[in-house]
Amino acid sequence: MADLSINLACIKSPNPFWLASAPPTNSGYQVQRAFEAGWGGAVWKTLGEPIINTSSRFAAVSFNGQRVAGFNNIELITDRPLEVNLKEIYETKKRFPNHAIIASLMVEPQQDKWHEIVKKVEAVGVDGLELNFGCPHGMAERGMGAASGQVPALVEKQTFWVKEVAQTPVIVKLTPNITDITVTAEAAVQGGADAISMINTINSLAGVDIHSWNTIPHVAGKGAHGGYCGPAVKPIALHMVGECARNPRVNIPISGIGGISNWENAIEFMLMGATGVQVCTAAMHHGFRIVEDMIEGLNNYLDEKGIASVSEIVGKAVPKYSDWGDLDLNYKVVARINNDVCINCNKCHIACEDTSHQCIDMLKDGKGNSILRVREEDCVGCNLCSIVCPVDGAIDLVELPNEFPPMTWNERQAAIGALGCAVDTVK
Amino acid sequence: MSDYQHYLQERDRIDYLYQKGYKISNIQENLEGALVEFQKAEEEKEILHILTAEGRKYFSVKVIQQNQ
Repeated sequence: MADLSINLACIKSPNPFWLASAPPTNSGYQVQRAFEAGWGGAVWKTLGEPIINTSSRFAAVSFNGQRVAGFNNIELITDRPLEVNLKEIYETKKRFPNHAIIASLMVEPQQDKWHEIVKKVEAVGVDGLELNFGCPHGMAERGMGAASGQVPALVEKQTFWVKEVAQTPVIVKLTPNITDITVTAEAAVQGGADAISMINTINSLAGVDIHSWNTIPHVAGKGAHGGYCGPAVKPIALHMVGECARNPRVNIPISGIGGISNWENAIEFMLMGATGVQVCTAAMHHGFRIVEDMIEGLNNYLDEKGIASVSEIVGKAVPKYSDWGDLDLNYKVVARINNDVCINCNKCHIACEDTSHQCIDMLKDGKGNSILRVREEDCVGCNLCSIVCPVDGAIDLVELPNEFPPMTWNERQAAIGALGCAVDTVK
Repeated sequence: MSDYQHYLQERDRIDYLYQKGYKISNIQENLEGALVEFQKAEEEKEILHILTAEGRKYFSVKVIQQNQ
């Protein structure tokens, strides 16, 4: 059995699976139930001045029968008094002393308000704080959440105010609703953050009912933008984690969030630099016990690879995540169709013919059977045929021997520039 | 003609000029591709209009080799 415990900025938990600040962590009952199921930590649903919610609040995007490909919500932070939450945090921590409880916080951007809530929350024994600078709806319209998180100076200042009084590690949760998340990540570092977490939800409207013309969800016939999460946002979150992980000025641990639904997803985030992960939508879709599969899958993965501790995989893929200008233009792969596996559905041919490089020919073999064959000299190795193919193993992308030495765009531009020519470069 | 066949022609033209002792002296890239100027002596210049992406990669490799 591998060691699954993590230490994220001195917040220790028995495994890297935390519940994210969201409806699943609204109460002591829920968090204790989650810990019983095996979750290593929980970020308590954001504490602040109790709000009033709407009905309804959630919507999901299904895709081709797959339910909850994406999830949208317009629920706000806690609607319960602070004292009620603090009492339940205290009781939960007392019952589960080895599990991580992090309090998510959101108040107006004023120093005294941050000081007040930090002191009250830390008094009940939380293991850390997470500053919610990401909630994109409702609270943002009141100057909090994403409205704060989109302004680097406010991220830095509020983090600084928290750090003035905080005794526990401070995690700054970042909004993805910004052009370059590394800017606000750097601001958090400047403010003294001990860690960052990302991503909060993405501005979204789940849909419009084509019969009633109401938004989905709607509240008495009116809608407002919400926050999008779930499997659909995973690539966006993974990119943002990777960008921060490879930025030398963001030199603090990362808690990865965004569409993590299974142990494989968790490993991806950890390889890309996350010390641990937070999960919400998958738990809302399938219940707390999905963590059992996550723990088992992660443990088996580590054992099979002979890795003693999950911490050893953190950031291992980061050096492989680079800029486009540093990719080798002379590296070449081409598609090869295995006709003994191919079912001749012709999807690859159609995709290539209509939308790519017209290099898959429909031919007959010696016995008159229909076969598909790639003209490798015209194939650019785009992957599209393999992506649309419904049969595993029918199309391989194979590496061709290097005809020329490796050459990146940046190296090319430098070489041409050395001739005295005007060139553009890509960073 | 396929892009690949077009590229082979461009590659042959570039190789031919190198075999003749020319070297790339200037490259002007624009919306139409690349105008690659080859020079052997002060007065001896040739310009190839390279259209294909593979051709642009090829002369880039030659430039890097030439600079080394």
